[in-house]
Amino acid sequence: TSSVLSTENDKSTSSKDSTTDVASKSQEGTAETPKQKLLDIIGNMTVEVSYRKKLKQLKTREITNTLEGPDSEHTVLQRTTEDVRGGKPLNPELVQAVSAVASSLPLNKKQTESELLAQLRRHEETTDKQKKGGLTNIRNVISEMAVKRQSPAQRGVKISSRISLRVDEDDQRIKPERLSPQSFDYRSLKVGKRLNIFTKASKETENALKTVSSPTIWDLEFAKEIAAVTAQPPRNGFEEMIQWTKEGILWEFPIDNEAGMEDDAEFHEHIFLEKHLKDFPKQGPIRHFMELVICGLSKNPYLSVKQKIEHIEWFQNYFEEKKELLQEI
Amino acid sequence: QDPTAAHYMFQDDPFLMPRNAASARLYSLSKESGKNAAKYIIKQFPQYFDKTFAEPNVPCLMPEILTPQIEGLSEEALKERIHLRRVKDSVDMFDQLIQAGTPVSLETTNSLLDLLCFYGDGEFTPEKEEEDLEEPGVNASEQKAPKKQSRRGLQSFDSRWRENNNAERIFKIMPERNAHSYCTMIRGMVKHGASAKAYDMYIDLLNERHKADVHTFNALITAVPYLKERFLERWELAKVFLNHMAQQGVQPNLLTFNALLKTLRRCGGIGKSMSLSVIKEMEALDIEPSLATYGHLLFIFYKDVDCYPSGIISEVLDDVEKRSFAPQDPDDANFFATAMQVCCDLKDIKLAYRLNKAMEKGDNWKFLDMDRSNAYWSKFFSLLCMMEQIDVVLKWYKEMSTSAFYPTPKNILDLLQALDAANHLEVIPSVWEGMKQLGYNRRHDLLEELLSLMSREQHPHEIQLAFAKCAEDIKAALDQTGREQALLEWTSLELGSLAVLFSRAGRTQDAWNMIERLQQISRIPTDHVMNEFFNCAKQTNCPDEAIKLVKLAASLDLPLSQKLKSRTEKEFELSEKQK
Repeated sequence: TSSVLSTENDKSTSSKDSTTDVASKSQEGTAETPKQKLLDIIGNMTVEVSYRKKLKQLKTREITNTLEGPDSEHTVLQRTTEDVRGGKPLNPELVQAVSAVASSLPLNKKQTESELLAQLRRHEETTDKQKKGGLTNIRNVISEMAVKRQSPAQRGVKISSRISLRVDEDDQRIKPERLSPQSFDYRSLKVGKRLNIFTKASKETENALKTVSSPTIWDLEFAKEIAAVTAQPPRNGFEEMIQWTKEGILWEFPIDNEAGMEDDAEFHEHIFLEKHLKDFPKQGPIRHFMELVICGLSKNPYLSVKQKIEHIEWFQNYFEEKKELLQEI
Repeated sequence: QDPTAAHYMFQDDPFLMPRNAASARLYSLSKESGKNAAKYIIKQFPQYFDKTFAEPNVPCLMPEILTPQIEGLSEEALKERIHLRRVKDSVDMFDQLIQAGTPVSLETTNSLLDLLCFYGDGEFTPEKEEEDLEEPGVNASEQKAPKKQSRRGLQSFDSRWRENNNAERIFKIMPERNAHSYCTMIRGMVKHGASAKAYDMYIDLLNERHKADVHTFNALITAVPYLKERFLERWELAKVFLNHMAQQGVQPNLLTFNALLKTLRRCGGIGKSMSLSVIKEMEALDIEPSLATYGHLLFIFYKDVDCYPSGIISEVLDDVEKRSFAPQDPDDANFFATAMQVCCDLKDIKLAYRLNKAMEKGDNWKFLDMDRSNAYWSKFFSLLCMMEQIDVVLKWYKEMSTSAFYPTPKNILDLLQALDAANHLEVIPSVWEGMKQLGYNRRHDLLEELLSLMSREQHPHEIQLAFAKCAEDIKAALDQTGREQALLEWTSLELGSLAVLFSRAGRTQDAWNMIERLQQISRIPTDHVMNEFFNCAKQTNCPDEAIKLVKLAASLDLPLSQKLKSRTEKEFELSEKQK
């Protein structure tokens, strides 16, 4: 979630800066045609415009005028942007408390503030959705719109990177869901807005996600199912032979003589076994005997190198013991 | 593509080639079941198959060791039994371990839960495992043959989640649980139809402050239509899950979006407006859509019969034409059939040709198994009959019939209508030959259509003769009472048409037989029939027959009898007796 919030934060900082101008301008000048000014300025911003937002900004400007103090502008800006992102105007005391908390914490003040405010906003949204009646007209309209419409409720969660000054579309959306065919004559895969729920994972998170434990039974069975989707019976003899080769029923061509044999040693280790006779005496019947043994072993294709060395070592041990006997004699 | 050959898997002998879709299915099933039988023998009697002659050894033909090796009560033994997928043994061993007081590690318990949730607490039998090893083109074992629903046995929803089954019980007695435990329980519940429980389990997971993984979310999204009834509520719930995913930092994958689109299929009008946003979201996240995505999309946009033209299908085809797809979702297999259905509904033959080309590109043909391929080509042929010139239709028919697909009765009807529209009725006798081959020679709907087309108008003489021969053939086929075939009831239309056909060809006796038959089934010959017969009698100069007809008409007290009588008197030279 942190990446999501940080990107939100970055965008919100940029919009914060621009809304500073908005707030200040409107505070200085009169409130005449704030909608027009808003449209101009926000059009330059990379923020989506919605009817609700305009309402809220008008409303927040009212609340702004009641607040005083050095924190007020900052909190107003924050609140404006949070409202821009589509919540309801929060209790100003809450907001002030949040900023106080944030300033007390050693972390990035703006980030913690925005996180806390986002959390508060979520609470507000859920309580308001369940609240019935007793709200102001604007709130009624907003909450109604949140229930009826599908995407604008969520659109405010994340500021998209695309400029879309579709003011009229919002008004249109207040119509019932069952849209008449005429209004959607042409629909295309290329045109349209996205859900804006997910963000693309950065490279680090992707790599972090790659470390998975061993595949569970779910994964194995799913893999089998997927493979079975395109597993068709062979259409001709060649495909059948390919399948058999994959299963191991048919040999692989060109023929590999050593297929299926696991022999780690090279041929010279099998044949040239003289180096294992280092510990034996250089002359005498024992040497002669051992050379015959080696000759026999080198011609033996059935034993592995290890086994051959073991043979030689056995002889070595044997003759060691017998040497003592022989010496005695 | 050899037009006279059947699929490679069948014996290449004209007598042994399947004639129609049903027998093709039967033959391929029998082939698979033979393989299954062999595997079963090897598994049951491994002691007879222990000599390995082959060098190098061929492991897939050797019997597998499926009995647990580790005896005794230990976690290792439990792990082995889980690995061998012996559900009952694992549960028993687990219970014994718990009673003996030995703690079982969380990981092992989780893998036991995986096993139980996957199999839904039913016993895993070796026969079941065989099914998913076979190609999906055929349902492997014979006992599954009649069931079309549970095609991939393990993915079927036949097994239901029983109340307080082993999985739940073990879950409850676990001393500690991690996210994986919850996730696997949720997935199991969704798979076996206990969606409400899955949702509750998900709430528990959230309360324990765990994070679910992407597969669990995918399962939850697929369960949404079972949790809510109204369309808007379904969409809202799906969005709730998506938002939770975003909050918990779980990245969606292709299957997430496919599950979402599948849910949108059941969301009515909302599906249409929202599915495009879903596609855009996929694009933004750089997830390539699979065939299942496009399939769901087409279904959403074109399921209403009165679909106004929209460019969605051409755009989808644009994307599909360019790529050769690899399977990523089990629903990929339905794309081509859905798309062809859309082309038929839109009556657009050009789109169908494009779709064909896309199917032939790369590996895309593999997505059509035998049944789906038959359905696909059958729809394509219907569209051809509707929209294309008759010679193109006949060309396709000759090439594809019984090699690429087996025409359905509807296809034959469409073909007959196309011939009628193009005034090519002389081809009908060869269509009858095709029908005989396909085994449709006793279907009344086809026969009636065939005969009525033939008998509707007068035709030049040779054609009439050919028709009469065909009619005789039909009569013979219907009269035949083979070992399995019951005596077929004739309909009056058939008999009437046959009579007409015989009459026109001058075969008076045959025609009279038909009329008699009509009497036998207590039906009255139509005026048309009687007039034709009369003309025939006149032509062949058989006054007796004409009198017989008049007598018949009189006995049935038909309005035509008077006319016939006068005609007989006028046109024939009758002896006194006959008068």
